[in-house]
Amino acid sequence: MAEAVVVRPDRKFVEEIIAAGGGDLKHCMQCANCSTVCELSDGRPFPRKEMVWAQWGLKDRLVADPDVWMCHQCNDCSRRCPRGARPGDMLAAVRRLTVAHYSVPRFMASLANRSAYLPLAFLVPIVLLAVALLVRDPIAQALGLETEPAFYASFFPHWLIIGLYGFFTGLAFVAAVVGVLRFWRAMKRSDEELGLYATPKGIPASVVGALKDILTHYRFGFCTAQKPRRLAHLAVFYGFLALFVVTSWAVVDLYVNPMLGIASRYPFDLMHPMKILANVGGVALIYGAVKVMVDRKRIQGPGAAASTSFDWIFVWLILGVGVTGFAVEIFRFTVGPEPAATIRTAAYATYFVHLVLVFQLLTYLPFSKFAHVLYRTVAMVYAEHTGRHRPVHRPQVPQIAAAPAELRLQGVTTETH
Amino acid sequence: MDRKLAVYVCKGCDIGASLDIEALKDVASEAGVDAFHEHECLCGAAGRDLIRQDVLDGVNAPVVAACSPRFMIDAFTFDGCRTERVNLREHVVWSHEPNDEDTQMLAADYLRMGIARAQKATLPEPFEEEVNEDILVVGGGVSGMSAALGAAGAGHHVVLVEKAESLGGWMSRFKRHIPHEPPYRDPQPSTVGEQIDRVRADDRIQVFTGTTIEKITGQPGQFDVTLHTNGGSDTTSSMRVGAIVQATGWKPYDATRLGHLGYGTCPNVITNVQMEEQLASGPPTRPSDGKPARRIAFIQCAGSRDKDHLPYCSAVCCRVSIKQALTARELDPECEVYVLYKDIRTPGQHEDFYRRAQEDAAIFFTKAEVETVGEAGDHNPVVRAKNTLVGEDIQLEADLVVLATGMVPASADGEALRRLADAKSVVAKGEAGVQLETAKETVASLAHLEGGEILNLGYRQGPDLPVLKYDFPDSHFICFPYESRRTGIYAAGCVRAPEDAQLAREDGAGAALKAIQTVRLAKKGEAVHPRWGDVSYPDFNLQRCTQCKRCTEECPFGTLNEDVKGTPQLNPIRCRRCGICMGACPERIISFKDYSVDIVSSMIKAVDIPDEFEEKPRLLGLLCENDAYPALDTAGLKRIRHSANIRFIPVRCLGSINTVWIADALSRGYDGILLVGCRSGADYQCHFIRGSELMETRSSNIQEKLKQLALEEERVRLEQLPINEFDRLPEIINEFAAQIDEIGMNPFKGF
Repeated sequence: MAEAVVVRPDRKFVEEIIAAGGGDLKHCMQCANCSTVCELSDGRPFPRKEMVWAQWGLKDRLVADPDVWMCHQCNDCSRRCPRGARPGDMLAAVRRLTVAHYSVPRFMASLANRSAYLPLAFLVPIVLLAVALLVRDPIAQALGLETEPAFYASFFPHWLIIGLYGFFTGLAFVAAVVGVLRFWRAMKRSDEELGLYATPKGIPASVVGALKDILTHYRFGFCTAQKPRRLAHLAVFYGFLALFVVTSWAVVDLYVNPMLGIASRYPFDLMHPMKILANVGGVALIYGAVKVMVDRKRIQGPGAAASTSFDWIFVWLILGVGVTGFAVEIFRFTVGPEPAATIRTAAYATYFVHLVLVFQLLTYLPFSKFAHVLYRTVAMVYAEHTGRHRPVHRPQVPQIAAAPAELRLQGVTTETH
Repeated sequence: MDRKLAVYVCKGCDIGASLDIEALKDVASEAGVDAFHEHECLCGAAGRDLIRQDVLDGVNAPVVAACSPRFMIDAFTFDGCRTERVNLREHVVWSHEPNDEDTQMLAADYLRMGIARAQKATLPEPFEEEVNEDILVVGGGVSGMSAALGAAGAGHHVVLVEKAESLGGWMSRFKRHIPHEPPYRDPQPSTVGEQIDRVRADDRIQVFTGTTIEKITGQPGQFDVTLHTNGGSDTTSSMRVGAIVQATGWKPYDATRLGHLGYGTCPNVITNVQMEEQLASGPPTRPSDGKPARRIAFIQCAGSRDKDHLPYCSAVCCRVSIKQALTARELDPECEVYVLYKDIRTPGQHEDFYRRAQEDAAIFFTKAEVETVGEAGDHNPVVRAKNTLVGEDIQLEADLVVLATGMVPASADGEALRRLADAKSVVAKGEAGVQLETAKETVASLAHLEGGEILNLGYRQGPDLPVLKYDFPDSHFICFPYESRRTGIYAAGCVRAPEDAQLAREDGAGAALKAIQTVRLAKKGEAVHPRWGDVSYPDFNLQRCTQCKRCTEECPFGTLNEDVKGTPQLNPIRCRRCGICMGACPERIISFKDYSVDIVSSMIKAVDIPDEFEEKPRLLGLLCENDAYPALDTAGLKRIRHSANIRFIPVRCLGSINTVWIADALSRGYDGILLVGCRSGADYQCHFIRGSELMETRSSNIQEKLKQLALEEERVRLEQLPINEFDRLPEIINEFAAQIDEIGMNPFKGF
């Protein structure tokens, strides 16, 4: 047993968790029903220990807890909680606060996630893109760049996009790296304090293990109440991956291939393999985002996940990127070489909106819900690295019949599934 | 008195179809009763008229062979005579093969036994004396006042005695109480003031404050009470009352024994009672420097549910801490409260009270085993706990630690006080010997009890109620609430069991009802629980008494006093009619009109014992009337069969079994004897508290006797059976019968 831990209850952090969506956590009576139903629980009861920490406001523990990120919010715990304390929602709130905790600079977390700051969050890329358009011609003249012939490039040249987005995603990348490193160090330090730190697996093998898990959505498969979410997430995930590949290839095709003496085929025509991949990816992205929204509305009752602005802003952004992306594509393939001015304006406006949304998505990545792609991955690698429990499919928990209506107490969850 | 018997056999409820009634007529006739009637439905109007007419014509001992004597009591009660009941339904036809030789023999034997008893038993006459119906309530707290108001409301004059200078008890010292009405979410202001006003306004209640009891003598209906009032001038008042409610409440557990939790060493560690005082005057502060206490840690179960301290749960501490936490938060919104608990126990609607406190983000609840409370700089208490939920030890610094200590009953151990008095008289005599040494040790170990007397009863067995587990005078057995071991004296409130004010009020009303029952039954000469309405009482043939004192020692209710020589002096209204004195008496001089050593012996001897060549063993069963006999009735009702070799006789309590019956049965040729009674021990269910325990002691003597007679000790078996395990009884019987078959016949058979 480690030396007695000095507990400093932090009421402010408790209130923060409550505000971030863990509103029912105080109802917990620490009975451990959640830990017995949770697939992730091992020797140290999960998520009860997190519930205890959360009730005491032990922030240092929670933001350095990789277990929080093993949870995919299946909400089996929330559904089975006899007090309606909703541990699953508390964990989601802690993940949100963890992202905020490691955000550099801190205000970005508020900007990216709070609905009150949403107009400002949009205003930033709008202003930046507008300024870029204003300085487009002077810069082009100064650098002696030719006007690109392509339909959209004549409006917003590729060099400008790559320059602008490259710069800001670069900043985001730096912020992400800093945040993730701090997260890793915090996890390590916390485990060391508890005398639990061990590294049975090397980093490369751990990365491979984590990637396998991610590519198959292995852990996600354990969710029962939230089963439909796995498919939705897979669609969004692979949609994104496809679009990432296509975008990367576009840059290669535009700038690397000519240097190698290969003629650029950009913008790709419809039958180009990359264009096919992009379209499939785009469809998957939209399908996934819509499904996420529908499922969040459809899955009701105690098993439903609480949704906050943190979740909705991100999902709408994905959907927005997908839909405007297709709109832009449709304009491109339907307008003739000399389109009418109104159509041209509409096409350019759509393209502008698309660029704003993409900017939001990429630049706010380390601060928004999108950051889970970093934190969850890192936590998974850390879990592999330190030999934490990996769930295996167990027989289903026997179904509990619904209690007669007169026996249903406030907060008691007895519904069948 | 000339006895005129008549036998009435009911043929209803399968009896007529299962037995040869004509043959029973011959049995009656052989037993000397020629008046024999059979009827299709004896409990119907025609059947009852038949008996009633016979009674008018001179029958004074009707023997009704029908259903269990526990049913149709009114139907078979006839003016001026005692009805003997023979249980042919539950114990014969419903539990045995119909129209079978053994069943017929069983019915015949039961009829013989009934006739034997009817020939000897007489109708008891009530002991009637003038009875006072006033109620004495000892203790003017919430439960005592509730008892007083209840009894007064039912029309009784009440004497309410309170040791302190004012009424109200602990609850009047606490400004806010746990909620007592919906929605059970927030602390509520005290309502004790209103209760005091109601007591003061009721002219049927005579209140004595600053008063203690100097002496109580007599018996229910005739308690003579002497009160002593301090104050300006010491005054003494005397009065007669009929029954007593002891509502002396509780004392906080002695926190000085909780040194490991910092009490007495760290000034900022206080008890929940001290916290009440703090909260009554304003926001909580630190005793060390008077600064506001902004971090308050409550340690639940401080000295409770702990084998080294109070082993039990005091029921209210969790709710009290929640109340104090909410009050502290309200008085000082800056403060934070930490509640460290073993289990939060908030029964009933008070779960909502707990939820209410949980909603406050500044009230932190956690399950933890607190090990020690130390001190950091500035006299800050530091709590060290084993946090059983996350598997880590934790340390928590606070400004103020509140120990949620439990309640100790404000009782006095009457029996220990008696032992102390006895030992002191031995020491005073100063005769040398081992006895003197033991007496000195007793005095040393019990001296601390002196001066703690409450009721000062003039009882041979001690001046106060005997205490049971954990010093509570109540048995806590669910069937006997408020019952103490002194008839007419009932315990209510926290002296009975740790409870909240609301329950204490209900307790007061409940105990007042018991007290009222006592005086009203005493007026008619009738017994109280559990032999309601029984008017018999023990007769002592004192010419033959040897002053062995076994009856005065063994009576569980302190019924008997002793004169200087040790001769028992009966206080019949204290008596519960259990017959334990009768079972105890080696001279067999104690008997009831309808229950005596002789009557039962005659019943035992009335059974026809087949000789050894018939291979029909005969077993005797003595069944406690309280649980075992009804259990066998229930088994019969469920048509569960048992061996037809056994003959049962109901006894008032296993403690009333006189060992001479065992000897009689064995010499008569019975092959085995089964005794079935209630559970004894710490969680006893014996309706007369010590009866089954006494039988256990006696039965080990019996086993010794059996050995001396070269008889197998398995021939006498003692079983304990709760009433709800009725289905086990036939199994026990059959198993015993099989065992006796194996052992073989009683060698004394036929002698």
